[in-house]
Amino acid sequence: MTTEPRSRRDFLRLTGASAASFLLARPHDAVGQMVGGGGPFNDYRALVCVFLFGGNDSFNMLVPTSTNEYGVYAASRQNLAVAQGTLLPINPVISDGAQYGVHPSMPGLQSLFEQGSAAFVANVGPLIAPTTKAQYAAKAVPLPPQLFSHNDQQDQWHSLRGRTLSDTGWAGRMADLIRLNVANQQLATNVSLAGNTLFQSGDDTVSYTMGPTGPLTFSGFGAAGLQLEQRRAFERIINASYDSIYLRGFAEVQRRAVEAADRVSGALAPTVQTPPFTTVFPASPLGQQLQTVARLISVRSQLAMQRQVFFVSTGGFDSHDDQVVNQPNLLSNVSACLAAFYAATVELGVAQSVTTFTQSDFGRTLTSNGDGTDHAWGGVQVVVGQSVRGRRIVGRYPSLALNGPDDVGGGRMIPGVSADQYAATLARWFGIADADLSRVAPNIGNFTERDLGFLI
Amino acid sequence: MGATSADADRVIAIGYEAWIDEQLVRPASLELPHLQSIQPPPTNIGDLHRDRLDVWFRHAVNAPDQLKQRVAFAWSEIAVVSQVGALVNLPYSVASYQDLLATQGLGNYRDLIEAITLHPAMGVYLSMLGNQKPNPAANIRPDENYARELMQLFTIGLVELNVDGTPRLDAMGQPIPTYSQPIIEGFAHAYTGWTYAGAPSLPQARPTAVNQVQPMQLYPAYHDTGPKLVLGNVTIPPNQTGAQDLDAALDNIFAHPNVGPFIAQRLIQRLVTSNPSPAYVSRVAQRFNDNGRGVRGDLAAVVKAILLDAEARGPATASTGKLKEPLLRLTQLWRAYNARAADGSFRAFGAPGTSLGQGPLQANSVFNFFGPDFAPAGEIRAAGLVAPELEIATEYQNTQVTNTFRTYTFNRNSRSAGLPADAIVINIDAEAAVAADANALVNLVTDKLLAGQASAALRAEMLNLVGRYGVADVPNRAAQAIYTVVTSPEYALQP
Repeated sequence: MTTEPRSRRDFLRLTGASAASFLLARPHDAVGQMVGGGGPFNDYRALVCVFLFGGNDSFNMLVPTSTNEYGVYAASRQNLAVAQGTLLPINPVISDGAQYGVHPSMPGLQSLFEQGSAAFVANVGPLIAPTTKAQYAAKAVPLPPQLFSHNDQQDQWHSLRGRTLSDTGWAGRMADLIRLNVANQQLATNVSLAGNTLFQSGDDTVSYTMGPTGPLTFSGFGAAGLQLEQRRAFERIINASYDSIYLRGFAEVQRRAVEAADRVSGALAPTVQTPPFTTVFPASPLGQQLQTVARLISVRSQLAMQRQVFFVSTGGFDSHDDQVVNQPNLLSNVSACLAAFYAATVELGVAQSVTTFTQSDFGRTLTSNGDGTDHAWGGVQVVVGQSVRGRRIVGRYPSLALNGPDDVGGGRMIPGVSADQYAATLARWFGIADADLSRVAPNIGNFTERDLGFLI
Repeated sequence: MGATSADADRVIAIGYEAWIDEQLVRPASLELPHLQSIQPPPTNIGDLHRDRLDVWFRHAVNAPDQLKQRVAFAWSEIAVVSQVGALVNLPYSVASYQDLLATQGLGNYRDLIEAITLHPAMGVYLSMLGNQKPNPAANIRPDENYARELMQLFTIGLVELNVDGTPRLDAMGQPIPTYSQPIIEGFAHAYTGWTYAGAPSLPQARPTAVNQVQPMQLYPAYHDTGPKLVLGNVTIPPNQTGAQDLDAALDNIFAHPNVGPFIAQRLIQRLVTSNPSPAYVSRVAQRFNDNGRGVRGDLAAVVKAILLDAEARGPATASTGKLKEPLLRLTQLWRAYNARAADGSFRAFGAPGTSLGQGPLQANSVFNFFGPDFAPAGEIRAAGLVAPELEIATEYQNTQVTNTFRTYTFNRNSRSAGLPADAIVINIDAEAAVAADANALVNLVTDKLLAGQASAALRAEMLNLVGRYGVADVPNRAAQAIYTVVTSPEYALQP
């Protein structure tokens, strides 16, 4: 039975031109139950997550150069192999017997590594428990669902949810755990410069999203006269009660936007006029985001910040096509941005207080689809900062042999260390108590090494 | 793309279903002819994307085939290709893809997925174009990109579904994956051998203005002829042609019981509500499975079922409807106020990705601007509900959109002076005529933009702000009233 529209109003409701709002209830209070305890931290620490969207082909970023190992690499990678002579040599303080080089487009990263300010974590990825090839084949251990799928594996890195339905991220849970310690902060612990991310989603805390150059202010809003009234009226409207959950959610974001825009923009304004560092950042979006992070860190005292997690990102790593052409540009940008950001933290005197780390959907198949690669599993990540025990390759660099002990097919590497171990190591440095690590990294109890040791 | 008074009057006159039937037979407004009419083409061919956006907005604001345009927009957020990335220099191809969605978006789904699969824009975007049979000596195997995303995002999803869209569970209470890696590899082999039409051979194919809008062509020497494992433990037999394999592969996917509930859920979310009840999904999925005349995949019947369902038009609850995405908030304003530049163009609105956080066929990835399962922390997540459009409603983007609306009300209206010739202006002449009377002005604006249903609180603020200007300050009184509505939460809801 079809009910015909009785009026224009009825029809407009159907097509989305109208809205009903009844002032019945106060907006939902997002603040939940308090946890933990303790006073303020006695120092400042920041984690900066650089997410490489699409799945970085990281076995071309850190490559074995010694004859035997390079031979295995080249045999697997064929037309996608980086030429042996072009790899930038590195000298890890602890050798696994092989020698390694960095992709030729990454001299900045090579230099950070050689000066002891960067480490590689080899073959890390989402796992629920340690997994061997035999266990994988026999389905003898639980695995993260939907391996090799972009959004599912991004979500694994962000949430470490394993096979549970958790919908918080590990940075969000860290912010939840320390929220009483950082009660005086003028800005959320979690700040994204690259849109909403599950990584920063908490139960008891909210993240704050700004643009690549910082927050925007509202045009036409001001401190006096009509401009002040514009702002006040806008605030009253978004503070009204709404029946619709969508509008309550929308208005809540608007409230945070209005509330933080002036304060954060005001704090940042002097850093635009008089930059607190001389380092020149790459003009790329990632460079812009990291430059803004450095500026935000420079005003940490004005905003009473003690613990911050920044999320920045760059995309294009899903190299199904034209990998040989595109990958050098992508890696070059990452290297230059990481180097510039590190240099800025040195200038700001916070290189020991700021740890930068990469994450990515997954590694890529060692085999080729002609001119590119497909979705795989484990990969190499980078950690940068003066608190990093640098010049190390943490974790076992896998055998890159096709159908070898680490390959589950097509050159997909089973991770040797888990994203939970990686996160737990970063979380402990950030100030999460050992007893709380399993709330940040829920599967950490399945692994013997709770701390991979790459941070001091 | 937003209702006008004329639309509303027409529906009231003839009824919902007759209005839909009338829309179904309107010819689709096409973008490609407009792009091809620009001669000579610009030196930097990527600049034509600006003209593509121009014609997209012309159709959104003015075209008579509103249902086809609206459904095409829905498909463009489900079967995503984007100007951002490999298609940046193939604007004709992206326009042609949009035209495909507008032309076939209300046809049969089996035909639609075949047309999508063979469209070079999708071929480039998800790299089926140029995909070759294996070369074991060089460790080369077929590209898995399209094989994976066609199933994950466009047809069946990751886990087996009941007809009402809820996941089927195994004996352990776990969801059941729809496919495995070997099945993806089977499909990847089936999709080998295709690239741009008219090339001497597959590796020699290069895009031209002509072949980037033609269906991809099979180059048999590059097609794998082995057997291919597909869904449901079926194996496509060896030694078939590429066209036979493609047919078999798409038939195999199309027959999967997930397609009905999966597509029902996706289209309902794009057109009506973020949180349809399982019963609503089931009613629409059953119409997908059989349109009543024994036909599977009849999208006109599916869209009718979606729009005419009691749940689409029943009494409002807290989770009825959905948030309107920024692009639709802008097109609604522009339709209600007959926006245009002096020459009718929308070319001046060149960077919607910045102004609105989204633009037509400009997503950052095949996962669209936002995901179907996004649930912000707080009451929405706690209630087990989702709000996909809220994923891009960040503090930053909301501010950007609010500021964009300030520009397109206060600074771009029919009373604004000194504007560039290409400025897109809203026509506020009717508002100006009554602007001295604040109540009449507020009534007129809320009638056009909120069907007269503004809350008392919003009306009070409109009157307050309008009253801050002198009675003679007609443009600002009108712009203020419109701005206050379009930046309000109420306007952001599709109820």
